[in-house]
Amino acid sequence: MIAIASNSRRVRRIEGVIFWLLRLATYFILACATYIFLDIGIKGSRTVFTSTPPFINLPFLTEPPQTLYVFAYEGKKMTLSDRQFRQWKVEHAGTEVEASSIAYSAGGIWPCIVGTALLVIGSMALALGIGISSAIYLSEYSRNGRLIRLVRIAILNLAGVPSIVFGLFGFGLFVIFFGWNVSLIAGWFTLGLMVLPAIITASEESLRAVPQGLREGSLALGASKWQTIRKNVLPYAMPGILTSSILGIARVAGETAPIMFTAAYAMKDEMPWQVAHWTDFFFQGVMALPYHIYVVSSKIPQNEYTERVQYGSAFVFLFLVMLIALTSIVLRERSRSRLSW
Amino acid sequence: MTFPRMLPPMEGVADPRTLIPARTSSRRAQAALEQGIKAFFGGNALVAVIVLALITIFLFREGFGFFGQNLANLRLYRQAGLEYVDIIRGVSAKHEALSRSLSEIRLREVRTMEKRNAPVEEINAALAPFDQFATAFSDTAENLHGIVSDLTDQASALKEALFARAELLAQRNQLEHSAAQAAAAKIIVPEVDRTAALASLREGSANFESVSAEMTAQLYSLLAQAPPLPDPAAQKAFEQWKTRTREYLAGLPAASEKLRTWSPDAPIPWYRSISSFLFGREWVTASFWQDWYGIIPLLVGSILVSIVALIIAVPLGVASAVYVSEIASSHEKRLIKPYIEFISAIPSVVLGFFGIAVVGQAVRTASQSSFFKWVSFFPISERLNIFTAGCLLALMAVPTIFTLSEDALRNVPRGFKEASYALGANRLQTIGRVLVPASLSGIVSAVLLGLGRVIGETMVVLLCAGNRIAIPDFTQGLGSIFQPVHTMTGIIAQEMGEVVRGSTHYRALFMVGLVLFTITLGINYLAQKFVTRYRMSIG
Repeated sequence: MIAIASNSRRVRRIEGVIFWLLRLATYFILACATYIFLDIGIKGSRTVFTSTPPFINLPFLTEPPQTLYVFAYEGKKMTLSDRQFRQWKVEHAGTEVEASSIAYSAGGIWPCIVGTALLVIGSMALALGIGISSAIYLSEYSRNGRLIRLVRIAILNLAGVPSIVFGLFGFGLFVIFFGWNVSLIAGWFTLGLMVLPAIITASEESLRAVPQGLREGSLALGASKWQTIRKNVLPYAMPGILTSSILGIARVAGETAPIMFTAAYAMKDEMPWQVAHWTDFFFQGVMALPYHIYVVSSKIPQNEYTERVQYGSAFVFLFLVMLIALTSIVLRERSRSRLSW
Repeated sequence: MTFPRMLPPMEGVADPRTLIPARTSSRRAQAALEQGIKAFFGGNALVAVIVLALITIFLFREGFGFFGQNLANLRLYRQAGLEYVDIIRGVSAKHEALSRSLSEIRLREVRTMEKRNAPVEEINAALAPFDQFATAFSDTAENLHGIVSDLTDQASALKEALFARAELLAQRNQLEHSAAQAAAAKIIVPEVDRTAALASLREGSANFESVSAEMTAQLYSLLAQAPPLPDPAAQKAFEQWKTRTREYLAGLPAASEKLRTWSPDAPIPWYRSISSFLFGREWVTASFWQDWYGIIPLLVGSILVSIVALIIAVPLGVASAVYVSEIASSHEKRLIKPYIEFISAIPSVVLGFFGIAVVGQAVRTASQSSFFKWVSFFPISERLNIFTAGCLLALMAVPTIFTLSEDALRNVPRGFKEASYALGANRLQTIGRVLVPASLSGIVSAVLLGLGRVIGETMVVLLCAGNRIAIPDFTQGLGSIFQPVHTMTGIIAQEMGEVVRGSTHYRALFMVGLVLFTITLGINYLAQKFVTRYRMSIG
């Protein structure tokens, strides 16, 4: 009797230790992620926020990137942006200074934000239009033949293809074969096609999750097929479709590889709407936030002068993408609790 | 069947006509509209399918053109005598490698002496005979290097001439095909005197044998008077070096034999183009001499990074899945699950930036700390290496592995757990012996999908893997994961922007993309296989 008791105590202790190890692993993951958020959050907020009203560093968010000039003048270390430096030179005509220049490290990231927004809007319009229609066809109209099954498997598999392969394809087809060069429209198509399989799969899944009874009931009451879909299927599938599309937005906004040679410029002086002819709007490259982060983290050195723009852009980008992702997670949790059959 | 009596009989029931509708025009319009809507959705689906099929076809079309071009590239390599020169170059490169390992031995010796706090003068004095030996050793190859640099110029001139001729010929052929005979006749294709050029190559290398014989004699006498080293470990390395040098000298006649039997007109079989891509150990592009497109260094880089990432991510991901689905309290669960899913939304470029800014430096600092002094390959020299990239990729794989494993664990029927408890098993036994085995194929498929995500990831490896196109030196054991590599995704991202359309390089990158495409499709397929098996086994 005593032996059994001590044995069970030992077993319980082993169980406790292993459970603690599992708990440790879980919280280790959370700690790593939190560290990343905090590191970028804290260092980035030094750039993005200010201690004086309006508390947000508006110039950083509303100015284009500029070259930073660092030089010593009268024993003081001066750091001036390109424009300021030219003005300073005019004011101090005659003084020769040896300034070292660091690209992209002054000014802000406004064109990058605009470019990313344009890329996301265009590619999502493309992907959602084609994607949801295809999902409706696949789930509501198509007969479950062998061909459709094959198509479905192909789409599911394409959803797992790396984004760089889509970038490669977009570069080969749109940029070179169609001769669109590095342009907004090439980026739209590349990104749109990249999320298309994911959107079709997810939308179809939420359409199929709507119970068959709802369709049959509607049809039995004399509604036509389209009326059934519009009034009795889509409304219930909408939360699921919406969630997947918002996740798609987060993915499109966050990807760098597909746009780095189809749509993104490292530096561009004009804003996207400053074009000579309206068709030029589609055939211009844009600056994009993820590509900007890639450029500032790999092409310029790491030092006290570059940290401002590096962490600042990473912070703004992370914040935007996380906001989108959070929306979709909250939406999903809410729709999960509301809809249950 | 009787009509329910509850309702009073109704007066003026609607016309029976409405029950069987007439074929009115509005009806027909309605039907047409329905057809139209169906056609619209069908059309969209068709567009999606066609476009997605086009992607695959386009990738294959651009990729497969590579083999023909690469074969021409390899043929030119032989015809212009580059291969011939490379035989001699190989001999001289090996000599240089031996010379380099001599200086590595010296470095090791210096380090051990520094540990004893010996002053610099003393170190230099102690190593003076060794230095003399090393200098004498590298001097023996003077003549050999001379031959190589002479022949290099000759062979590249011949290659350029042949290349230009082939271009002109192609141009003329094209014009002839498009019936522009006059224009075609205008293109003068210069004759290249290949035999003469090759003969002069052979002449230039005629004294290779005498040079190598002279070098052999010099080296044997040098080896006989090699100075001893004070440190036993360094002495051991030095002895190994001597054996390697003797092997090198013994291999010299084979090289001369190869030179003698080499023929510029020996045919190159078609499969060489494929095998040189799939098994080639060198990826050299935009070189003045010869471009090599071998995928092995890139493939090895991708695989090593993924292995490191999975070694970290699988235990963490599966452990947290078990914890969340079986042990955590419900409010803990409500917090942890969305948070881990939230991690998957961190953009990869931000993670890559974090790797450059924080993790790389942290890894190097840690390797320099005295705590890790016992590790033989520490301190590391490169802060961006396989390990750095692997750590960050692990964080990307964890959410995938966690979410899918947790799903699999949750879907194990309740009865399994209850039966286990009823037999007197405790929670740990139930988890370890019942729940995890029951959901094992689901977990395996989760791991596979995590692998798919890791191997296809671009920005993290481009920023953090170090981008050195070389197969890591596996002789260092575990230390090889602290070396920089380049990956398949990274090379596409890095080189795609600057290639000429239709060039061999451009097509080689498409081939790399195709390999990546095939690998991820295979992984996805396997993962789905496992999921179906898992559903079947649970029933």
